[in-house]
Amino acid sequence: MLGTGDIDVNTPITSQVEYLPRSRRRLLVAIALVGYPLAAALLAGLKHTGLNRWLILAIFLVLLLPTVATLLLGYRYARGRIDGRRGRLDERDLALRQQAYALSHRVLAVVLVAATAITEIYLASGNTLRFDANTFWPVTTWVIIYIPALPSLMLTWIETDQPADV
Amino acid sequence: MSDDQRRVHNRLAVLRTERGLSRKQLADKLGINYQTIGYIERGDYNPSLELALTIAQLFRLPVEAIFSLKPMTPLSEEIFGEPPAGA
Repeated sequence: MLGTGDIDVNTPITSQVEYLPRSRRRLLVAIALVGYPLAAALLAGLKHTGLNRWLILAIFLVLLLPTVATLLLGYRYARGRIDGRRGRLDERDLALRQQAYALSHRVLAVVLVAATAITEIYLASGNTLRFDANTFWPVTTWVIIYIPALPSLMLTWIETDQPADV
Repeated sequence: MSDDQRRVHNRLAVLRTERGLSRKQLADKLGINYQTIGYIERGDYNPSLELALTIAQLFRLPVEAIFSLKPMTPLSEEIFGEPPAGA
């Protein structure tokens, strides 16, 4: 049923994140989505160079930082509307959550189809696929990070700009 | 509001201002999030039938006086049957 939002408009805005324009939010979501795959790809590339292992790790962590920051912003923006922790969601929140889950499902389907197609092309070209720690951990980390975060990110992506307080 | 959703026009902002209510106060009376009021007023969200009827009940007006599929004409024009002077 309908519920009251628990944000007091009369107090100063506790979080500027809620009032970020959609264009900026979409940029943050894009950074969150491509940040980790890029960092993982770069890590794989750097492993074959003669660079110091600690330096490689430091570069990887620095590259990972924007992803972590933008994922946290996505969670903050969704502010309990995805996991239901906000308690009382009104009808617009519920509709938005449904749209966010539906879009997450579509994005996940596209990623899975693309990954399967790329693997198929790779194998059909006479290559062999080795499933060791070097491939297992990036994939597992991707699943652990993105599957739970995807609905929040999609909500951050789809919601229109908030009306100015009057 | 999704692109394929038909826009529902409304007079919510006019009525709310007329009654001296803030979005927060109106939202509290309706039991919804104050931001939802802003989205409805801006035409970015079409309320459910239940919410539209609750709003109509709150303002003691027929639902069609608040929500319409056609753009709303000024209330004065509807009452007096003529466009306001200078319009």
